Amino acid sequence: MTIAVRAQSITKSFNGSQKALDQVDLSVKHGEVLVVMGPSGSGKSTLIRTFNGLEAIDSGQLEIVGIPLDTDQDERQIRRIRRRVGMVFQQFNLFPHLSILDNITLAPIRVKKISKINAEERAHGLLAQMGIADQAMKYPAELSGGQQQRVAIARALAMDPELMLFDEPTSALDPERVKEVLDAMRRLAADGMTMIVVTHELGFAREVADRVLFMDAGRVVELSDSTTFFTQAKEERSRRFLNQMKH
Amino acid sequence: MSGSRTTYRKRLLQARRHPLQTLLSVVILAVIAWIIWSTGSWLILGADWSVITENLPLFAVGAYPENERWRPLLWLALLCLITAVTLLRPLIASKWRISGLALSWGWLAMLPIGLVLLAGGAGLQAVTSRNWGGLTLTLMLTGFSGLLALPLGILLALGRRSKLALPRHLCRVYIDGLRAVPLIAVLFFGQLLLPLFLPVEIEINRVLRAVLAFALFAAAYVAEDVRGGLQAIPSTQLEAAAALGLGPWQIQRLVLLPQALRVAVPALTNQAIGLLQNTSLMAILGLVELLGISRSLLANPAYIGRHLETYIWLAGLYWLVCTAMALMARQLERQGPSSATSAIPS
Repeated sequence: MTIAVRAQSITKSFNGSQKALDQVDLSVKHGEVLVVMGPSGSGKSTLIRTFNGLEAIDSGQLEIVGIPLDTDQDERQIRRIRRRVGMVFQQFNLFPHLSILDNITLAPIRVKKISKINAEERAHGLLAQMGIADQAMKYPAELSGGQQQRVAIARALAMDPELMLFDEPTSALDPERVKEVLDAMRRLAADGMTMIVVTHELGFAREVADRVLFMDAGRVVELSDSTTFFTQAKEERSRRFLNQMKH
Repeated sequence: MSGSRTTYRKRLLQARRHPLQTLLSVVILAVIAWIIWSTGSWLILGADWSVITENLPLFAVGAYPENERWRPLLWLALLCLITAVTLLRPLIASKWRISGLALSWGWLAMLPIGLVLLAGGAGLQAVTSRNWGGLTLTLMLTGFSGLLALPLGILLALGRRSKLALPRHLCRVYIDGLRAVPLIAVLFFGQLLLPLFLPVEIEINRVLRAVLAFALFAAAYVAEDVRGGLQAIPSTQLEAAAALGLGPWQIQRLVLLPQALRVAVPALTNQAIGLLQNTSLMAILGLVELLGISRSLLANPAYIGRHLETYIWLAGLYWLVCTAMALMARQLERQGPSSATSAIPS
C-alpha cells in the first residue's frame, strides 16, 4: 500500500508562543482510517489543517498524496493537493447563496472542468448515497444540521478525493443528528476511503478506526491500533483522557 | 360604541381640568389647518403651472432636435416599462414571471440601447451630446456612472484587502484621497481643468467627462460598501472554498463576492440614489440635465417668478425616480436563498 500522508517532525506555533504542533511524526497508508483524539487545544485540528495547506508549518517535512508540501507554501503545490484531498468542517461551511446541487458541483465544474451535466449527475448520485436525494434544489439554510453535514461530505467527495479529512464533523450537531452523519462516514470507510478523523466519538473510533492518534499539547502522546488504544492504552495520559470521556 | 363614547366623555372632562393644554391643542390645530388651506389654495388657485405644462418635452429631453425627440422619449418609455415589469413582478404568478436573470440583462441592455438612441448611428441621424438634456441626461449620467463605479469599486475593495502591499496601499490612497475631496471639486477638475492639461487634438466630450468624474468619485464610496460586505462574510467560507481547490480569483468571484454584494445592497442603494441627486451639480457646470433645463427655463422672461412651481415639480420628479429605485432595491434584497427559506415548503 502506498502512503497517503507522511509527516516528519512538523512544528507549528501561533504568534511564536505556545507550540500547536511539536515535532509530530506520522504516516497514514492509503485505505487506512485514522482517528485523532485529544483534549481541546491539543493541536489535533491544526494537524489535519496542515495536511491541505490551511495552516502552514514552521518546520519539518510533509508529503500529502505523494506531493511535498514545504514550509514556503507554494500556492500551485497546495492547490494540486487540495484537488485530491477533501475536507469536512465542524460548522459544515456550505455556501449559503448556492443551492445544494450548486454547492456540490461548483468545484468539479470550476476546478476539474467537468461538464455541468456530468457533474450534476454525479452530485445526484452522491446525494442519494448520503440519503438526501430529494434535497438537491434547496438551499443550505433549509436543511437540518445533519443534512447540511452530509451535503458537505458529498461536496468533498464530488472531487473524487484520495484522502478525506474530517475536523470534528459531529461536534456542532444535535445529539439525535450525530448518528446519520457517522453512518455516512462508516459507509465511506467500508468502501475503502482513506480517512483522517478528528472526533470525540469513542464508539465511532472503536468501531471504524484502524489506528488512533492521541495528542496533547501539540505532541503525539500515543499512536496505537484502535483495539490496543481502547483496551490497554500504553500511556497514562491516554488512559486518563479515556476515563474522563467515559464518564 | 358605548366604550368609545365614555372615553370621549372622559377626554372632555380632562379638557376642562387642563385649560392650558386644550388651548395649545386648538392653536396647533389652527396653525396646521391654516398651512393646509394656504398651500392647497396656492397649489390650485395661486400657482401657475404653465411653466411645467408648456415645457414637458423640455423637461424630458432638453434641447434635443424636435423631429428626433421620439428617440429619447422611446428610451424613457422603455425605462418606465422595465421599471413597471420589475416592480409588478412579485404580484405575477410564478409561472408567468420573467426570470431574474432575464430582467437583469434587460436592465443592463437599457444603457447601450439608450446610448444608441440618443447618439444616433446605426441608421439614425447623429445627435451630439451637447443637445442631450432633461430627465434623459440625468438618467444617462446616473446609469453610466453607476455601471462604471460598481466594477471599479469592487476592484478597489478587493485590492484594499489584498495580501500584497503595493495594490493594498494604492487602493487605500485612492479611496481615502477621493473621499477627502468634495464632489464638486472633482467635477470642476473634469470639466474645466482637464481640457487645459490635455493636448488640443484630444477632446473628450463633456458628458463623457462628467460620467468619468462621477464614476471615479463614486467608486471610492462603493469600494468601502463592498469591503464592508466582504468583512461580513466569515473566514470559514474562504477556507471551505480554498479546501475544494478553487483559486484565489475563483474564491472571490464565486463564493465571497456574491454573498458580500447581497449584504451591501442597502448601502449600494444609498450610493445609487446619492449619485442620481448629485448629477444635479452638473447644472452649475453647464450641462442642461433636469436641474439645468429648469434653470434655463426660469431665465426665460415668460416664466419670471415661477420658481416655486418649477422646484416643486423638480422635487416631485426626483422623488418619483428615487422611490422607484428604492423599491426595486428592496425587491433585490428580498430575492435569493434567505427568502426562499420561507417560500419553499419542505
